[in-house]
Amino acid sequence: MTGDTTDDTDDPRPGGETSGSADGESTRGDGGTATVGDLPTTAPDEDHEHGLPPKSSIKRWLVTTNHKDVGILYIVTSLFFLIFGGVLAMLIRVQLLEPGGTILSDMAYNQAVTVHGLLMVFWFLSPFAFGFANYIVPLQLGADDLAFPRLNALSYWLYLVSGLLLAISFFQGNSFSGGWTMYAPLNVPVYTPSVGATTTVFALLLFTASVTVGSVNFLTTMHRMRAEGMTLRRMPLFTWSILLTVWMMLFAFAALLAALMILSADRVLGTMYFATESPGGSLLWTHLFWFFGHPEVYIVFFPALGAMAEIFQTFTGRRLVGRKWFIGAMLLVALQSFVVWMHHMFLTSINLQIKTLFMATTIGISLPFDLMVFALIYTMIKGRIRFSTPFLFAFGGLVLFILGGITGVFLGAVVLDYEFRGTYWVVAHFHYVMVGGVTGLVGGLYYWYPKITGKMYDEFLGKVHFGLYFVGFNLLYFPMFVAWETPRRVFDYPEAFVGWHQVATVGAFVLGVSFLVMFYNLYASLISGEDADACPWAYGSTAEWAVPSPPPLENFPGRPSYGGGALEFLDRGRTTTDGGETEAATDGGVKAGGHGHGHEEVSHASIWPFAIGIASLFVLVGLSGVRTGNVAYPATFVGGLILLLYTLVAMTRESFHGPSGPFGESWPFEGVENTKLGMWLFLGSDVVLFGAFIGSYVFTRVAYGWQAWHVVPHDPIPGLMNTYILLTSSFAVVLAMVAAQKGNRNGVVASLAVTLLLGIGFLGNKGIEWWELYHEGEWVATSIETSTFYLTTGLHAAHVIVGLIIAVYMLVRAWNGAYLDDDRPVEYFGLYWHFVDIVWLFLFPLFYIL
Amino acid sequence: MDTKLYTAIYVVLFVAATAQVLVEFAGLAYWTALAIIMVLSLGKAVLVAAYYQHLRYEPRSVTYVMVSGLLAALALTLAAAYSIT
Repeated sequence: MTGDTTDDTDDPRPGGETSGSADGESTRGDGGTATVGDLPTTAPDEDHEHGLPPKSSIKRWLVTTNHKDVGILYIVTSLFFLIFGGVLAMLIRVQLLEPGGTILSDMAYNQAVTVHGLLMVFWFLSPFAFGFANYIVPLQLGADDLAFPRLNALSYWLYLVSGLLLAISFFQGNSFSGGWTMYAPLNVPVYTPSVGATTTVFALLLFTASVTVGSVNFLTTMHRMRAEGMTLRRMPLFTWSILLTVWMMLFAFAALLAALMILSADRVLGTMYFATESPGGSLLWTHLFWFFGHPEVYIVFFPALGAMAEIFQTFTGRRLVGRKWFIGAMLLVALQSFVVWMHHMFLTSINLQIKTLFMATTIGISLPFDLMVFALIYTMIKGRIRFSTPFLFAFGGLVLFILGGITGVFLGAVVLDYEFRGTYWVVAHFHYVMVGGVTGLVGGLYYWYPKITGKMYDEFLGKVHFGLYFVGFNLLYFPMFVAWETPRRVFDYPEAFVGWHQVATVGAFVLGVSFLVMFYNLYASLISGEDADACPWAYGSTAEWAVPSPPPLENFPGRPSYGGGALEFLDRGRTTTDGGETEAATDGGVKAGGHGHGHEEVSHASIWPFAIGIASLFVLVGLSGVRTGNVAYPATFVGGLILLLYTLVAMTRESFHGPSGPFGESWPFEGVENTKLGMWLFLGSDVVLFGAFIGSYVFTRVAYGWQAWHVVPHDPIPGLMNTYILLTSSFAVVLAMVAAQKGNRNGVVASLAVTLLLGIGFLGNKGIEWWELYHEGEWVATSIETSTFYLTTGLHAAHVIVGLIIAVYMLVRAWNGAYLDDDRPVEYFGLYWHFVDIVWLFLFPLFYIL
Repeated sequence: MDTKLYTAIYVVLFVAATAQVLVEFAGLAYWTALAIIMVLSLGKAVLVAAYYQHLRYEPRSVTYVMVSGLLAALALTLAAAYSIT
């Protein structure tokens, strides 16, 4: 960290004056910058943009790893899911025209309600925001791309495939029909038996995997790849909101991953965590789900808040009032979001003391929001407002959020929630909050549309869109407050509310039509809109407005630096001025040597993220129906697994150069190289994953009666043997690293071979133990004790198997002489392997001794 | 780094694992045994993280990330277990 002393009175808005400094061409035909010309690394037919086919080619969109392309893919795909979820919403509103329903069967309505909720929260709102994050955040940071471009593309493809899985679920009997919160025991096959319901769970599982990969990538990028002088305190507000969002994602989605893995096991393997007979089973689900679910509220809302803050600054021509406090308030909310989850559970069997505590924390979390709202209001008062479309939406979003926030305070009070829970008050409240966030992001879409497309949208149609949108929104959701006694999730309600519900349905169609205006506007402007300048706004101040619209593939005409106080572009060749290390990140792939010049060729294309996505589709579709007896399902599963392994190995072996870094600002992770930090962040989320599994075990055992619990293994000795084995294998990995540092090839090979053999021994020992237990009638579905034993130690065994696959790969490479000049891959594998060891150090006493 | 140090830690880990089982067989009161065994596990975990994973030699911020994950998991576990009526 530099000795940054920016105080709140400094103008942190960098370099508005430098806008438009680069060439006006949108794509550069020379395939690179002028400073390098000695390495013709691109194939002759792909010389257009660093090996990327042109944008008109479908192939480009399948292979691209560039953050701007991936951002566009995210935005377009999320808008598709908006239409998908929106059509389901229309069906719901038509059904509610009369009490008792009109067009849908009971089952169809349940599916429509469930999938509408899932689609809008998971597949539209967050990915829509992350489209902008992908496109804008590296520009605002001064980075050429994300730290791991291929993992970024992988996040996208897993996201798309997870959405396809959700669509497929409708064709497997029926989709999930138990509500978007998937409450237990409705979520187990006794009540929702269809294969499609299992596929829905898998879809969410894959989405979670996508989010985890994305959070690791964004966190590494945002902490490690900031331009010189771009300290955290100077970071633009949108980027700040994304930084806090991804931190919340890293931990919160790990808890959801645990919940979904357990649910998948209940549905496919027959464990009984959430079964009616399980002690505290339905309560366990609510804990796991809402421990994720409440941070999720801010995960979807923060990016909107960040976009709104930027739009307010640009269209009032004034820096946000109390900017530092605004950031502090967001930071506080991000922390507090992890200690309010039980306010979603006031009507479950949790005790009164904890309800009171969580009511207090809930009131506490509303306070920083008050500050943020007032900061935005004062910014309007102090500045001079230009009522362009982006501002109208951002302002509308603020108004709607205020209404949604105030009505939420009612729900946070235990006594009032006894009355409001399960009514349309809740439905109205969270739509004002969530769709209020959407409003802000639609503002972001208009705001960044000229940057992304290089074309100006039609201002008149934009205002028409806002008018229809705002009127439609309030016609749709406000009547729900009035008719709040309508029960949620069912289509029967008192006759007295018919009028209100019919108004709401009209509002829904007005809101829907407003989006047609938007799509027409955006499409027509893309074809025949006016060309947009680098900065079409009078007071655009963040770095994305200092580069052409759209920015060239390499983003910047030189190395961006804020070292002089404002944005300037330095010569790429000068690597000595940044005072830090400069290294080539290899994105976990094969590191190629020999880049002695300052600005090395950067790769932008890989087919493997797409291929891994396809393989995942086969794996999960196959797994969804393994219990049906149809052999096509297990065959698809096995085929998918083979394909998945092949594509993963292929991506690892591919030579790929990510952007180099760091560039000057990497607080607080100076000296922790990108791949290492990525590994640590992944392990951080894995701590929460295992923590939630162990927490589920502890919770269930407490609910059951701790000492009445039957410990599954007869004696701890086999477990102790496995503890010895794992400890020894950890020691062997340490020796492999030491050997690699000493350049001792035989030592590396021997140590990795020992690790591999010990790992196999661990699994063999476990296999014998399981075999014996099986023959004594203690199998997965025997009791809640066996369920927790097999699933938790099974998840650990799965981690061991993944580690062994990596060990085999590394052993082959070590045999061929790898790692002797660079031991980092051995070290990073060790981080993972030791973590698996540590987990066992807790599982052993918890499941074998106590 | 020093191979001797790694070896010494390996021996300590080995002994601590054995001690956990001995504590179980020692016939102590259940909750006393539980406390000792969990403290031994925690001690082993800290050793592995600090030396085998080199957390001691990384910027402290990496440790904070891991501790944050641990705190989140503990908050979930303890509050959920406490909430049971």
